[in-house]
Amino acid sequence: MNFYDQAIGWLPCIQPIVQKRIVMRVQLLLLSLFFLILQLQAYDLKAQRLTQNANQKSLENVLKEMNRQTGYDFLYNAEQLKKHAAPVTISGKNMPLEELLTQVFDQQPRLSYTIDQKTVVIRPKRIDLTQKEQIIVQERIVTGQVRDENGQPLSGVSVLVKGTTIGASTDQSGGYSIEIPNSTSVLVFSYLGYVSQEVSVQGRSEISVVLRAQISGLEEVVVVGFGTQKKENLTGAVASVDMKALESRPVSQLGQALQGVVPGLNLNVSGLGGELGQTLSTNIRGTGTIGQGSSASPLILIDGMEGNMNNLNPADIESISVLKDASSAAVYGSRAAFGVILITTKSGKEGKMRITYNNNFRYSGPTNLPNQLDSWRFANYFNDAAANEGVAPIFNDETLARIQQYIAGEISTTTIPNGQQWHFHQQANDNVNWFKEHFTSSWSGEHNIQLNGGSDKLQYYFSSSYLDQDGILRHGDDNYKRFNSTAKINAKVNKFIDFNVNTRFIRFKLDNPLYSDMNGLLYHDIVRIWPMMPFKDPNGHYMRNGKLIQMEDGGRAVTNNDNLYGQAELVIRPLKNWNIYVQGGVRTINQNKHRFLNPIYEYDINGNPLALNYSGDYAVGATFAETFFDNSNFYTSSIYSDYTVEKGGHLFKGMLGMNTEDFKTRSLGASRSDVITPEVPEIGAATGEDRITSSTLYDWATVGFFGRANYSYGGRYLFEANLRYDGSSRFLADQRWTWLPSFSLGWNIANEPFFESYRNIVSQFKPRVSWGKLGNQNTNAIYPFYLTQSVNANAGNWLINGSRPTTAGVPGMISNYLTWEKVYNTNIGLDVALLGNRLMANFDYFIRVTDDMVGPPAEVGAALGIGLPPTNNAKLRNKGWELMMNWRDNIGSLGYEIGFNLSDNRVKVEKYPNKSMALNTFYDGQELGEIWGYETQGIAKSQEEMDNWLSHTSQSVLGSNWGAGDIMYKDLDGDGEVNAGSNTLNDHGDLRVIGNNNPRYRFGINLGATYKGWDFSAFLQGVLKRDLWLDGPMFWGMVGNVWQAAGFEEHLDYFRPEDTESIFGPNLDPYYPRAYMGGRGSKNQNVQTRYLQNGSYMRIKNVQLGYTLPESYTNTLHMQRIRLFFSAENLITFSKIAKMYDPEAVGGPWGSGKTYPLNSTVSFGVNLTF
Amino acid sequence: MKKNILPFVILCSILTACNKFLDRSPLDAVPIDKYLNAEGDLAAYSANLYGQLPSHSGYGLGTFALDNNSDNQAGSSPNPLFVIGQTRVPQSGGDWDFSQIRNVNYFINKVRPKLENGELIGSTANNEHYLGEMYFFRAFIYFGKLVSLGDFPILKNWITEDYDVVREASKRRPRNEVARFILQDLDSAYHYMKETPPASNRLKKAVAALMKSRVALFEGTWLKYHQGTARVPGGPGWPGNTAAYLANFSIDLDAEIRYFLTEAKEAAKIVADNFPLYGDYESMFNNENLSGVPEVLLWRQYDTELTPAVNHFVVGYIQRNGGGNSGYTRSMIESFLMENGLPIYAANSGYQGDENYEKVFHNRDGRLGYNVLKTGDLLTTNALLTEYMDENRNGYFYRPPITEADENRSVTGYSLKKGLTPDPAQGPTYPSTTASVVFRSAEAYLNYIEADFELNGSLDANSDRYWKDLRRRANMETDYNITIANTDMAKERDLATHSGRNLVNPTLYNIRRERRVELAAEGFRLRDLKRWRSLDLMQNYVVEGFNLWDKNYELYTNPDNNLPKITLRENGVNNPNVSSKNDSKYLLPYRVNSSNIAFGGYNWNPNKYLNPIAFDHFRLTTEQEGSTDYTTSSIYQNPGWKVETNSLPEGD
Repeated sequence: MNFYDQAIGWLPCIQPIVQKRIVMRVQLLLLSLFFLILQLQAYDLKAQRLTQNANQKSLENVLKEMNRQTGYDFLYNAEQLKKHAAPVTISGKNMPLEELLTQVFDQQPRLSYTIDQKTVVIRPKRIDLTQKEQIIVQERIVTGQVRDENGQPLSGVSVLVKGTTIGASTDQSGGYSIEIPNSTSVLVFSYLGYVSQEVSVQGRSEISVVLRAQISGLEEVVVVGFGTQKKENLTGAVASVDMKALESRPVSQLGQALQGVVPGLNLNVSGLGGELGQTLSTNIRGTGTIGQGSSASPLILIDGMEGNMNNLNPADIESISVLKDASSAAVYGSRAAFGVILITTKSGKEGKMRITYNNNFRYSGPTNLPNQLDSWRFANYFNDAAANEGVAPIFNDETLARIQQYIAGEISTTTIPNGQQWHFHQQANDNVNWFKEHFTSSWSGEHNIQLNGGSDKLQYYFSSSYLDQDGILRHGDDNYKRFNSTAKINAKVNKFIDFNVNTRFIRFKLDNPLYSDMNGLLYHDIVRIWPMMPFKDPNGHYMRNGKLIQMEDGGRAVTNNDNLYGQAELVIRPLKNWNIYVQGGVRTINQNKHRFLNPIYEYDINGNPLALNYSGDYAVGATFAETFFDNSNFYTSSIYSDYTVEKGGHLFKGMLGMNTEDFKTRSLGASRSDVITPEVPEIGAATGEDRITSSTLYDWATVGFFGRANYSYGGRYLFEANLRYDGSSRFLADQRWTWLPSFSLGWNIANEPFFESYRNIVSQFKPRVSWGKLGNQNTNAIYPFYLTQSVNANAGNWLINGSRPTTAGVPGMISNYLTWEKVYNTNIGLDVALLGNRLMANFDYFIRVTDDMVGPPAEVGAALGIGLPPTNNAKLRNKGWELMMNWRDNIGSLGYEIGFNLSDNRVKVEKYPNKSMALNTFYDGQELGEIWGYETQGIAKSQEEMDNWLSHTSQSVLGSNWGAGDIMYKDLDGDGEVNAGSNTLNDHGDLRVIGNNNPRYRFGINLGATYKGWDFSAFLQGVLKRDLWLDGPMFWGMVGNVWQAAGFEEHLDYFRPEDTESIFGPNLDPYYPRAYMGGRGSKNQNVQTRYLQNGSYMRIKNVQLGYTLPESYTNTLHMQRIRLFFSAENLITFSKIAKMYDPEAVGGPWGSGKTYPLNSTVSFGVNLTF
Repeated sequence: MKKNILPFVILCSILTACNKFLDRSPLDAVPIDKYLNAEGDLAAYSANLYGQLPSHSGYGLGTFALDNNSDNQAGSSPNPLFVIGQTRVPQSGGDWDFSQIRNVNYFINKVRPKLENGELIGSTANNEHYLGEMYFFRAFIYFGKLVSLGDFPILKNWITEDYDVVREASKRRPRNEVARFILQDLDSAYHYMKETPPASNRLKKAVAALMKSRVALFEGTWLKYHQGTARVPGGPGWPGNTAAYLANFSIDLDAEIRYFLTEAKEAAKIVADNFPLYGDYESMFNNENLSGVPEVLLWRQYDTELTPAVNHFVVGYIQRNGGGNSGYTRSMIESFLMENGLPIYAANSGYQGDENYEKVFHNRDGRLGYNVLKTGDLLTTNALLTEYMDENRNGYFYRPPITEADENRSVTGYSLKKGLTPDPAQGPTYPSTTASVVFRSAEAYLNYIEADFELNGSLDANSDRYWKDLRRRANMETDYNITIANTDMAKERDLATHSGRNLVNPTLYNIRRERRVELAAEGFRLRDLKRWRSLDLMQNYVVEGFNLWDKNYELYTNPDNNLPKITLRENGVNNPNVSSKNDSKYLLPYRVNSSNIAFGGYNWNPNKYLNPIAFDHFRLTTEQEGSTDYTTSSIYQNPGWKVETNSLPEGD
């Protein structure tokens, strides 16, 4: 194995004939920071004129000179040329190319040429053959073109006559020309990363083929830390993402496209759901730390530098590798303890300029909205619950009558006067479904363009994309725009030095109503707004409770975020197989967020405006303008060197290096109240109090030294060892440094000689094992060892001398011994390829132990008066496995593919300082995600049934006044009373573990097919096992008081006795217990088996249908490829969860399910290649 | 050899450079040794503690609704403390909390040595003042513990996290020691604080004296009335008797009571003599600025111009037809005397009955009119959500909103007026900015009189003067002896007529009456009832509101001025909104719906005089860490309560 060659991404072809290609050049004239202005010298090939003077020059040099002047390609076999060429003497000025060629070849007795479009093919004359034979020889020349599935020409494809050493390779336009010994020859087309094809000539003189990409091919090169590795030779748990998963997905973030694609790479919807600008939370192989003193997110590297994958342009991505175990992530040491996502972006490829343009247009709407009750049923539900609680009815008879009249269309006014204002609560009578009123559907669009090409000395890649996404808020117009631009230059300075520059600019703008920038308050409000709250008052003005005034008129929160990445790399090759890499990078993020509040008004019964207060934080009529600036700078440097020795089947490769990271951020927010006019909501146009609203400044740094050794023998025995020595600024000097070793082994059994006879069935069978220790420095506190005095300037609520005083409090506690979390990873894996690589499978089993974990502080007696500081006090053990299988084949012209992946993990707390094993925190042996609850017997249908139950099972600890419609809990420990004991593991009374909210058995299924120009794919994703305890008004309806309760269709299935006065009639076999408006209901809402939700689901994430126009048609438009597609996202969901919820969006900052809905999207678009 | 060590040397120098690169310290945070060194630091640290003083905030009636937990006022929901089966031992949290104590102890132990060594920057008098404030706050925090839990650990410094240290620090001290500790802190506060604070709206010397009289009176009367129970150190069943570390504890109860009452009297006198009553009772509660009112020793200021605004919503709730989720009880209203000093039932008192507001208010103690709304009272000069108004949009109180939703309901029919200003800018749903009174000297007058009588069984000249001052300001007959002479204890509808099961002396009762009336809706009542042990007779106690069924119901069924009619649905029909007239002619707010937890009346369990300590605190202080033998905890539970989550007190 020659690592050097793989690193360059170019492999010599297997035939002995080395073809030289001289290609058209693109001259780069100007380079600027973001854009290169380039000028292409275009040629009219047939009218090409040139000047040539030669005296006894070699034919090769003459041809090179002609190539230089014309840009024509000359195709020849170098050895044959040497053998047959005669010296050339020629003189001519401004001669046409063809004339010059005639003159040159007149002097060549043994060579002839043909011109095929832009290529001159030179071959020997068979002068020793008869005329007849000559004709046959000419018939034995086969030409054609090789393209990939997307219609892109493939250059460098090896074309070999089967069973011979006769071969050729394709030029940059995919063309080839080959002599064949006889007309029954078979041509073998092969290319790295593509499925080889054999074509029988059968007398044809032109054979064009399409090679299909062999994504899972063993030859595939996978990007690993500080290098690449052939998939076949991997010994760690590395998954590379099938880039098809990203194609034409109507999503705004890379993370959304990656969900379910790689087993073990878990992406979850965060609390704010589908709100614009929200990203999915990411982990590799599940929870890494308990997450209270430290965080455990995977390291995401974009071209080697940490970055945010979610604002990348997916079209720029060349490959994504997910490094899951210690040995593959080891070179990243302290930052990679919980896995690495390596994203490599596209680079320029030698060849003429290629332009690709893609777009898509999307139409999105919410996946799921709760069904709010109409006002009549809502009012009756509330009144019934109030009666059950023992409080007065919420809605009086008069209002109930009006509600009925309004629904029946007998009256058209939505409310009645209340003094000079309108009633907007319990005496209003509108009938609004607020979910439908607040959420709608919207259009979005995306465009992106890429330019790519270059010479052998200089290659370039430019791209630009624009995304304009509208949110689904009906009132208040939320919008996200993103602009990406990339310029990447790779230059070969000389034989020894390469120089590469990469710049990337990303800007996004998030424009939200101020009200939906308040951490989900809006979604909390929508759940709680009553349907009778008037949408508009009888005069046609919006009324306050719908928050419509706030949303539409109350001001905006606009974020502008610029990310600039600049990277440079110097590669020095002092000797063959010795490379030195010097890299430096800067990432700077500048963000400004402008928020302003405009005055808002409601109207009294006479239509006079009345200033309205925006929310509890602001006075009536208050206005302000605020701007927040954030500048963060991240500097990385690395220097490393590798050396490869290969001798007699032994291959040794060593690498040594070091890297540094330095991060510093500064932010400032300032505001002024009393904006003069809402037309100019800016600080400069406001006159009120000057305020600094926030100010931060901090830095951190890391340094790491690393080394890696690879050894392999005969491609069969693979060994790798890594060692890192890492330091972090987050710890005191004596706790700062740590050694992090890792090892891995692999055995390519299929390469063993004894396996030879099975190799046509099993092309790979590779067990592998790895072990490693990594460190995690990611404590939540940036300077956890420093005891500082917190001072809050002008923050007090108790005014002194008429203004807010500065306040200060007691300093917290710190630990001087805080140090690295140690993460031990053991991985056992098996890679299998069967049936000519059509079936590929990988399996990994892992154990990941986080020791010295920075846990939440231990419990301590209250007399201390303060919480303990986080220390390295806990230990976590995470076990799991991943399975990935892929089948790819074709039946005639129908190509198809089935992919499947499945993963699981369980996390146990092995050690935690909780000696009394209290259940309110972590305890030794706890499985993360455990849900403790009671077991439900059922709902008592009558007082008698409840009394009978209570006669042997006291529920007095859980509540009082038990009766018909209340829950009967089971007395599991048989002590005659249902209780939680002392709520410890040893005495948990009647509580038991009733479920676990950790998602288990995550899966993804990928189906794909191509037929002629058509392509189809479907992607399904889901979780097979998960329990959820959902709470709050979304689930229960009646929770707390009238302002917190909700009423949805599902909530009506509550207990009503035989003699109920409710309009809904009796309901003795309900889902929900009796409804109580107030505290009496809480006794029925303890965590219990009856209401535990099944959170498993399967979602059709994406379905896509594309059609690539036939080449004949494409060519007439001077294009290489035109593909039209239709793509749909989140199409159908299968789940047993309560209907109010989307199984992926069950969180929310204000309680479960109170969040921005996820989207279902349909889209269409076009992919063009010029 | 040289060659061999070269890489080592290079590595070492790289490592040294790297260590330097990695040495980072906070860029914008103050190290603790650079703080609490100057006047401004001290002022800021102390300013953080003002938030715990009771003052208006958020939605609702602010401090005026605090007495909803007593027999003076009633909220829409009954006070669960008075309902059997509604108060349980919590799992965690509760009053057994030391975070603010640590906060204060940190300051005192840091600052006091610096002060004594002259190391502080700034005015010494001001620095001493801030130290004094912290002593005050420690006393204030400890008083809260004394009231809710009684015996409590005395911690004068912050402690380390060592298990045994924490366990040791958790040991409770007998309540009288705690009270003495509080008085000592208040003496320090009085010593250090200035007469005029360095900035407005801060504590001052006189507040320490007032607080001292409050604490001493509380403890003195508690020990007096609870003696012979487990709630007094050394008493029968007192849990401290079983604690080994208290084996040598002894107490001379009479001397202790005398000590506290004497201290209460002396401290009260300092305030009463120097801070005269303000002539305009009403305007103390509805003005934005009280800086010119000597009676008000400390008040909180509000301002909506700030961002975020600092405000409350008290005024708007009152302006909205007198709702706000509260209401005085009949018992409270009947405690108010007539203008002539006679109780309402006395012969020739002039009392006209209670069938309507006009009669109830006729010739009564002026404070009735200051505290309670009646038909015709001006609510706002620009009616928005006020239903009854004249042609100039002046909004008036017409009828109490007894059927409105909880938040806007007048629960008893006697709506609160304290704090009302007709300023339309503070109208319904708009933020209010009226000042919130925290300490006023009238309390010192009352503390003095009560301590004096409890101590001596008679009233001295100061008491006489103070009492008359209070009654003079209320525009009523100043001669309290007329009242005492005409008081018929059997006719008084007031729990405070008894301590335990014993009827109290009529003079003492009238002192208590004066306190009830003067401090109406200011949050004193439940604490007073507890220290007087006046809840024992709260059995099957039905909370009563105004007289609905004689006359007042017509306000709803047959209103003036085209106001909407409201159907009154009595208990017994579907969706009732008032109690049944067969039940009582008075509105019984908890007998509207039969499902109400207090439908059968309030019932007091004497174990609730002290709150339980939550279960987790015992779990975390066992002798062996992690043990399940919670009896080995260094903490003992309050009498009548178990060490078991969710358990009920004995007798519930």
